[in-house]
Amino acid sequence: MKPRPPAMRTKRRYILVRIHPYGMVADQKQVYLSVIEAATSLLGDAAVGLAQPAVVFCDGGYAVVRCRRGSEADVATALATVTTIADRRAALRTVAVSGTIHALRRRMKPIRPAPDPGETAVGDDCFTVYRYPRQKVDLVERGIKHQKLLFFTEADLEER
Amino acid sequence: MKITDACVYPYPAGDSTPARMAFEARDLGFDSIVAVGDGVHPSAGPEVLRGAVIGAASIKDVLKQVRDPAVRRADVVSVNAREIAFNRAVVSIKEIQIVRGIHATQRNAFDHVAARTAAERGVAVDISLAPIVLLRGTRRQRALQRYADILSLQRRYGFPLTISSDARSILEQRSVRDVRGLCALFGMTGAEVSEALASVGRLVTPDTPVRVVE
Repeated sequence: MKPRPPAMRTKRRYILVRIHPYGMVADQKQVYLSVIEAATSLLGDAAVGLAQPAVVFCDGGYAVVRCRRGSEADVATALATVTTIADRRAALRTVAVSGTIHALRRRMKPIRPAPDPGETAVGDDCFTVYRYPRQKVDLVERGIKHQKLLFFTEADLEER
Repeated sequence: MKITDACVYPYPAGDSTPARMAFEARDLGFDSIVAVGDGVHPSAGPEVLRGAVIGAASIKDVLKQVRDPAVRRADVVSVNAREIAFNRAVVSIKEIQIVRGIHATQRNAFDHVAARTAAERGVAVDISLAPIVLLRGTRRQRALQRYADILSLQRRYGFPLTISSDARSILEQRSVRDVRGLCALFGMTGAEVSEALASVGRLVTPDTPVRVVE
């Protein structure tokens, strides 16, 4: 099939979002389902149908959401109402909006934890300590599923 | 002009410490946060103001609780809204700076009489983003209706508004840009959002006449 000439194609915008908490491994389809649920709930079927949101990239703690040009503000607002991804608590933080994915790739700065995760106890629970840049420390309860997450700083951890 | 998140609940009420929430708030474009709960102390990063929320069943209880030392120490004192008579009375208490939880009250619980008194006394009404972010369906629709109603009263009488995330975790905090988008859902303009985000600073350090020191 012959592609449409550029002037007749739908103009798109791409929204770069960072997935919180750090270290969360999210599947592209699950991110899409969360985005669609949040957008449909907030904006309604008609508006979401016109905005055509889609997740075109998801890796390294970032996702790129595609939408029609002109609807990016509405979609970004809907992204702020995402609270879970695959039944796990999460948040999507808008980093940038652009007309090309290439421009957004330059804005992706992977955030990785320090190599040696430690251990600590908070109350009766045992937590694995993941240290991130700028003194941020995430504590993940040791276990198989439904682990508790705590968000501390280095100073908080030293005080304990 | 200081951009402030008017209420967060750090650890142990939530899962994030005040310092971590302050770091996150700075990344999201805020200058300060109001943290409610025990163990809130000034940190090296962005300013953390001490907040107190009074949940009382009657005005008598409110008057009793504002004398509590923990409430007296707080930089920002807010009270949970209730029925119409309670709200009309509570906005005239000197120690109260913010009336919050309007979305959870009945329709017309905050009426034009309360609005006029709030404007005269400089008492702010809080707009919590938690119901918009966390709720779905009719409950969110009702919250948006209540906020639109409050906004129309604010435009008429000019009482201050504050905006809070009511976050119990860094995952519930939202950026200033997101706040603008979420507030636009019920008709708030960008200028009104900026004004509301700066209100806490004005409540903490109100404009007073210049005092000449000899």
